[in-house]
Amino acid sequence: MKEFRIDQETKGAIQVVRLTGSLDMYSFPRLETQLNTNLQQGHHAILLDCKDLDYIGSAGLGALIGFAKKAREKGGDIKLVNVPERIYKIIELLGFTKVLQVHNDEAAALASFTAH
Amino acid sequence: MELPKGISVCCQTGAVYVRVVGRGTFQNGQPLRRYALEMIEKGATQCIVDLGPCDGMDSTFLGVLAGIGLRLNKNNGRDRMRVANVSNRNLELLQTLGLDRLFVIAASSPEGPAADLFQRLPDSDIAQFNKPLNKNDTADLMLEAHDNLIQADTRNLAKFKDLTTFLRDRVEKRDPEPTAGKTP
Repeated sequence: MKEFRIDQETKGAIQVVRLTGSLDMYSFPRLETQLNTNLQQGHHAILLDCKDLDYIGSAGLGALIGFAKKAREKGGDIKLVNVPERIYKIIELLGFTKVLQVHNDEAAALASFTAH
Repeated sequence: MELPKGISVCCQTGAVYVRVVGRGTFQNGQPLRRYALEMIEKGATQCIVDLGPCDGMDSTFLGVLAGIGLRLNKNNGRDRMRVANVSNRNLELLQTLGLDRLFVIAASSPEGPAADLFQRLPDSDIAQFNKPLNKNDTADLMLEAHDNLIQADTRNLAKFKDLTTFLRDRVEKRDPEPTAGKTP
């Protein structure tokens, strides 16, 4: 199992947060801190790159809805990109695709922040 | 004898024994919930969960365990649910959700049934999980599990408010499933 890691880079007005490893209840507080920091600093457009994510738990997904809601209230959003098929199936099964945008391609995901 | 990956169970002298090998998640929480509730219906009064070979648990699985503990305590009095061989990481998860106050945390498991008396629950090894899950059943399980966590410790309400609001809305708004044998 890969160790959980968060890397962040800025692309224009968007914060791209790259996740590696397993996003479970044990590791989620670290992402929570990172997202809170971004929102407090006025970075409301956040793209979560899940390419190297091995696992995401139900509580983590649930909390992402809350963060996306907060970001939208400020004119931003939290979106996902490069979600591995196994994780996408879980997200889709739980109905989270109705409230969280999921993209296959980073360029398209970045463009979608300015498209609306 | 090494137990296979997944959830292995055994019921003896009024106690349900559970061994979680690998990860406990919403995918294998359902078969455990069904088994434990059936055994409680048949008279089981306590549950002993061995988390020694458990790599981790998601909140739904922990909520399933909480539901079993709440049911047993309601029927039989306090301290009917015991978890044993808890790693530091799993202990932290239990403490984070306040489940260390619902469960008795034992350093080691008491003398339980022999390994060959355990049976692995079907579809409980998530690495081999190929069966498509039913969306409605999964939403129901997840909602019930997180409601259990909130019932076990009200501090969990803030943690799971977004998730339970979303799931409750989904459960309430979903289309009724077609009933077998009923013509449209």
